[in-house]
Amino acid sequence: MTHEEIMERLTEVFREVFDDDTISINDGTTANDIDEWDSIEHINLIEAVEKEFSMNFQMREVSSMKNVGEMADIIMSRAGSAVKKKRGFFR
Amino acid sequence: MAFSNLFFMFLFLPICVGMYFIANPKYRNAVLIVFSLIFYAWGDAVYIWLLLACCCLNFLFGKMISFGKGSAPKFGLWAGLIINIGLLAGIKYTGFFIENINAVFNTNMIVPKYHLPLGLSFFTFRAISYLVDCYWGKVKAERSLSTFLLYMTLFPITTQGPIVRYETVALELHSRTTTAVDFSEGLGRIVIGLAKKVLIADQLGSIVDQFLGSGSLEHQSVLGAWYGVIMYALQIYFDFSGYSDMAIGIGRIFGFKFNENFRYPFMCKDVTEFWQRWHISLGTFFRDYVLYIPIFGKRRKFGGLFLVWILTGLWHGASWNFLIWGLYYGVLLAIEMIIGKKTMKKIPIAIRHIYNKIVIVIGFCIFYFTDLSELGQCLKSMFFMGSGSFTDSLLISSFKSNVFLIIAAVICCFPILENIKKRVLTIKDKSTFAVVQNVGTLICMALLIISGIFLVNATSRPFLYLQF
Repeated sequence: MTHEEIMERLTEVFREVFDDDTISINDGTTANDIDEWDSIEHINLIEAVEKEFSMNFQMREVSSMKNVGEMADIIMSRAGSAVKKKRGFFR
Repeated sequence: MAFSNLFFMFLFLPICVGMYFIANPKYRNAVLIVFSLIFYAWGDAVYIWLLLACCCLNFLFGKMISFGKGSAPKFGLWAGLIINIGLLAGIKYTGFFIENINAVFNTNMIVPKYHLPLGLSFFTFRAISYLVDCYWGKVKAERSLSTFLLYMTLFPITTQGPIVRYETVALELHSRTTTAVDFSEGLGRIVIGLAKKVLIADQLGSIVDQFLGSGSLEHQSVLGAWYGVIMYALQIYFDFSGYSDMAIGIGRIFGFKFNENFRYPFMCKDVTEFWQRWHISLGTFFRDYVLYIPIFGKRRKFGGLFLVWILTGLWHGASWNFLIWGLYYGVLLAIEMIIGKKTMKKIPIAIRHIYNKIVIVIGFCIFYFTDLSELGQCLKSMFFMGSGSFTDSLLISSFKSNVFLIIAAVICCFPILENIKKRVLTIKDKSTFAVVQNVGTLICMALLIISGIFLVNATSRPFLYLQF
C-alpha cells in the first residue's frame, strides 16, 4: 500500500463520515480544517478508518495524532503486520 | 491566599516578581519554588506534605516509565494512576460514600470530617496527565526533581488550575525569558482578571445570595428565580475566567505561556461548542485521557461520552447535584450528536442561541444547589410550579439598582477587548498608536486602583473554584 493509495481511501472514508463529497484532505489536514470534526466525531472517524483498513489504533494514537499525515503513517506501519493486534488499554 | 487579596496583589506578588528578576537566572526556579511553597502553606499548612509527597512519588513514577526496562514502565504507570486517583477519590469521596451507605442501609458509620487539601483535584490531574504522556512517549520524564517540583507547585496554577500539561511548559521549566511585551501583557492580564473578579463577579455574588440564598427560595417568583440563576451563571464565569486570566498573566510575567482556559463561552451556538470554550483545560484533559478509553467496544461513542460526563460531574464535588449536572450535559451532548451538526446548522441562529442559553442556565442552576430539595424548589419556581408570583418588587428594585453592573457584565461576555487590540495593532501612525497605548495603560491603572478600593472596603469572596 502506498501513501497515495492510503490517502485516496482515507478521502473516501472522510467524505462518508462527514457526509460531504467536497472534502479533500492532505497530510497537513487537521480537525480545524473540517467543520464537523470534533472530539466526538473523531470516534466515528476512527471507527470507520479502522474498518476500512482492518486495523486498530492504540488509545495513545487516537488522542494524540495531530493530522491526517500522522494517521496515514500509522496505517502504513500497521499494514505490514497481517495479525490484527488487540487494542490495549492505555497503550 | 487568593489572588484577589490585597496582601497577595500588593505585597506577595510584587516581592516575588522583584526577587525573581533580581536573582541570578540560575536561581530563578528556586525563587519560584520557595514562593510557591509559601503560597501553598499560606492556604493549607497541613497538607503541604501531601503535595510534596505527591511530587516525589510522581517524579519517581515518571522516571520509571520513561527510563525503566521491561515491565517497569507499565508498573510505574499503574502505580502512579492508582495512587493519584486513589488519593483524589479517597480524600474527596469517602465522606460522601459513607453518608450514602448510612442513608441506604440505615447504618451509623462515622463520617470523617476534614478539609480537602488545597488544589487536590488540580494537582492530581496534572500528575496523571504527566504520567500518561510519559507512558505514551509524548514527553520524556523530567530528570531533575527540583524542576518537577516547580511544575507541580507553581503557584499561579496549583490551587485552581488551569490544568497545564507538562508538555506545554517542559521547555520553559528549564529556560525561559520574559520579554518587555510578556511583562506588560502579563500585568494587563492580571489587572483585567482582578477587575473581572472584584468588580463584576463579587458584586454579582451578592445578588445571587439575595435571590438563591436559603430563605429566599420558598416563595421566589418565576422571574426572580431565573434572574438569580442567570446572575449566578455570569458570576461563575467572571470568577473563574478572571482567576484564569490572573494565572495566565502571572505565568506570563515569569516567562510561561499557559494555554487559554476560556474562549468567550457564552458566544457558543450550541452546547457542544460551549464546552469547547468553557474550562478548556479540564475538557481537553477528559478528551485526551478518558474519552477514547477502549472499554466500550461497539458502543464506544456513547460509552466514552457518558463516562466523561459522569467523571466531570464527580470531579466538581462529592454531591448528587454534580452527578446529575454531569449526566444532564451528557444527555444534552448525546442529543446534539444524534441530531448532527448538519441539521443543527439549518436551525435559525437566533433559536439556537435561545435554546443553548436556556439549557446552560438550567445547568448552572443544578450546579449551584448542592442541596437537592433546594434545587427542586428553585426549578419549580423557574417553571411556574412554585408558590411565588410571576414577578416581585424585590426583583425590580434589584435590577434597577444593578442595571449598569449587569450591562457591563453582558458586554464583557463578548470579545470586545480582543477586537480592539487587533484594531490597535493595525494602526500605522506612530503618534496615534502611542496615544492609544497610553489610554490602555491608564485604563488598566484605573481598574487596578478601583479594584484595590473595592478590596479594602469589602472582604472579598474566595474564588468559587477553590472548593473543587
